[in-house]
Amino acid sequence: MNTTMVNIKINGDNHQAPLNATILDACKRAGIRIPTLCYLEDVSKNASCAVCVVEVKGAKSLLRSCTACVYEGMEIATNSARIRDARKTSVELLLANHPKDCLSCLRNQNCELQSLASDLGVKEERYVRTKKIEKCDTSSNAIHRDPNKCILCGRCISVCQNVQTVSAIGLSGRGIKSKISTYMEKGLGNVACTYCGQCALVCPTGAIVERDDTDSVFEEMSNPDKYVIVQTAPAIRVGIGEAMGMEPGSLVTGKMVAGLRKLGFKKVFDTQFTADLTILEEGYELINRIKNNGKLPMITSCSPGWIKFAEHFFPDLLGHLSSCKSPQQMFGAVAKTYYAAKMEIDPRKIVVVSVMPCTAKKYEARRPEMSGAFDYWKDKRAWSSEDAFYDVDYVLTTRELARMFKETGITFSSLPVEEFDNPLGASTGAAVIFGATGGVMEAAMRTAYEVITGNPLADINFTAVRGMEGIKEAEVDLNGMKIKIAAAHTLKNARTLMEQIEKGESPYAFIEVMTCPGGCLGGGGQPIPTTWETRRKRAESIYAEDANKPLRKSHENPNVAALYSEFLKEPLGEMSHHLLHTSYQQRGLLVWKTNGAEKKELKTPHHA
Amino acid sequence: MDGSRTLEQEMQEIDEVISRYKGKHGELLGILEESQILNEHKFLSEDALNHVALKTGVPLSRVYNVVTFYSFFNLKPQGKHTVTVCRGTACHTKGSRTLLDDLGLILNCKKELDEGEQFFTTPDKQFTVTTVACFGQCALAPVIAIDGIIYSNVTTSKLQMLVRRISKVRKIHENH
Ligand code: SF4
Ligand code: SF4
Ligand code: SF4
Ligand code: FES
Ligand code: FES
Repeated sequence: MNTTMVNIKINGDNHQAPLNATILDACKRAGIRIPTLCYLEDVSKNASCAVCVVEVKGAKSLLRSCTACVYEGMEIATNSARIRDARKTSVELLLANHPKDCLSCLRNQNCELQSLASDLGVKEERYVRTKKIEKCDTSSNAIHRDPNKCILCGRCISVCQNVQTVSAIGLSGRGIKSKISTYMEKGLGNVACTYCGQCALVCPTGAIVERDDTDSVFEEMSNPDKYVIVQTAPAIRVGIGEAMGMEPGSLVTGKMVAGLRKLGFKKVFDTQFTADLTILEEGYELINRIKNNGKLPMITSCSPGWIKFAEHFFPDLLGHLSSCKSPQQMFGAVAKTYYAAKMEIDPRKIVVVSVMPCTAKKYEARRPEMSGAFDYWKDKRAWSSEDAFYDVDYVLTTRELARMFKETGITFSSLPVEEFDNPLGASTGAAVIFGATGGVMEAAMRTAYEVITGNPLADINFTAVRGMEGIKEAEVDLNGMKIKIAAAHTLKNARTLMEQIEKGESPYAFIEVMTCPGGCLGGGGQPIPTTWETRRKRAESIYAEDANKPLRKSHENPNVAALYSEFLKEPLGEMSHHLLHTSYQQRGLLVWKTNGAEKKELKTPHHA
Repeated sequence: MDGSRTLEQEMQEIDEVISRYKGKHGELLGILEESQILNEHKFLSEDALNHVALKTGVPLSRVYNVVTFYSFFNLKPQGKHTVTVCRGTACHTKGSRTLLDDLGLILNCKKELDEGEQFFTTPDKQFTVTTVACFGQCALAPVIAIDGIIYSNVTTSKLQMLVRRISKVRKIHENH
């Protein structure tokens, strides 16, 4: 396609820009920066903040450069006293209704409003508050909202609606009463929200954030009675460096391990260990379903936002979900049974902390059924419900871990490179790629192929399911039996595949779904900003780590093999059934009506 | 009006409205508007909103967006009669606050008033009391409206008389 170019003048200099480009884009091409606040590339364009204004010759008022388009001969000025003043006023008006809470705000020093105010030289309060103070939404255990910090940019609504097709939040009221609301102000905990956290990832301010668990974890670590261990998801090693000020996508596995040890964790383990375990259980489940005419396509179940989405929007198709718990939950269950017994530690004293790229993991850990280890012990030790505990006690996002590192004065650049602890720290390349869209599928195929055919794979790289395309498909030949597979990321794409199943038109035997754009590496708990460029860089590092691993197939993980021979016995066996598999709930959309069961909190020494 | 209509019947009537609007332009607005009209107390209950959302496939948050954007949607039951008291500056200086307090006494809903509710309906669903920022009749302050008819230079006794008259008319009707 030929784009028509037009000649324009920016601040007196001649430039060219594609016809119908926005002034903002045209200036960007010319290397001229215009401050923006509500605008976010590919996400939101509702032109509400009036920070991006410019002067155009012949136009009476200033134009919002994020939406106004260029035309032949346009003369643009991006910097004048009038423009600076208008921009400053826009921000000052927003700040008039904004709490002066920066020091206690989770977004302090990573806030677009704060940095803009500082860039534009806002020093004093010139306007008075016009809005009434709103209640915060702390109804969920994953995402918290503070409407008072909201600047009504609409980014969260746009992501929730267009990327995730969930629409858990929307605009309500009008004029001065406009705000971001859940249905009837019920709160995120009482509507069909998946806790994916994509809204928090795009929010320019601290109006939507992860529930902060850093204080609880610090508290547990200072309790000498507790044995606090940590597991890290694949996507953390390509995210935490970035959150600590390094280049996006920096691969910092060894430094991360050293940092976690410094922070005070007794053992530093790897969720990748149980990712390998997941592949064995899930691989056998798939083979089982194919051989015994089970429900197909089988769909992966590692991503808790996706699970909740299916429970709300496709409650009649839950039989398609693999019954495997996610690697995070398998880890908790294994740590508090197998590892506790092996090391002779009272499982009630073990505190499992996860570091996840994901806000929905906070919710997953608190699902009432996620207490397999307690159920395992309670009869053996005659424990009562007083002793009950969850398999995973706390979930920290990448951003929370970064805050803990900073709070303890740990600087990444000076950290040594260390190794994970054994036995729950060993993993293969197949487990690393769980962090990227298509990765679980690829890992599963590496194992399923070899188990079914009995032959080693000629090329273990299933490149067809790699990359950032929304839905990727491939065909695999398993000893003459051809199966179709697909991998989808974002819930919008997942919805497409589910609607296919609903109509009975799904050609696939196996589907991978990851909730977040790009997979876990683009999760709602990852560093802000997360853009397509940073996602790509993180993915590169994930695949580089895979390529560097001496073992790259889950069934070759020697410690997983030992776990089976010493404890679980066999994939899909009796013990696996109790500890590593789970079931799902038909939730539907009127969540507040059925939430009673959800409210049942296990009594634990820790607060929820 | 048939006061014994069950929730189920109301939902059936809404279903009928939905099927009539199917595929039409402005579908959601029309459905909500008619659903409000067919409700006995002229409001959209949560059940009605849930029903509309589930039946049309429109997200709940979108339905909420629409019903909070347009001021003609009521999310609380409306009394048979509406008394609107002007709280504009002119009326305020001429004692509209006292009129509100009087209404609280006359209609037996002082509690709601003291709690600062902007809008409330008496338990017998006969009267809804609400306020407005200015009727644009400041010269005639204080001004109130009952069922859309504007009354000027309202005093406590005039208010009492007006409310009693409506109640009486009602009683006479009921005796027939
Ligand atoms: S949202 Fe930004 S400006 Fe507002 S309190 Fe938080 S850091 Fe400060
Ligand atoms: S967490 Fe996800 S589903 Fe929930 S409101 Fe945010 S974007 Fe929507
Ligand atoms: S909550 Fe955040 S993303 Fe959503 S409208 Fe407000 S400021 Fe924008
Ligand atoms: S960035 Fe253009 S109006 Fe907000
Ligand atoms: S102030 Fe009451 S009518 Fe204007």
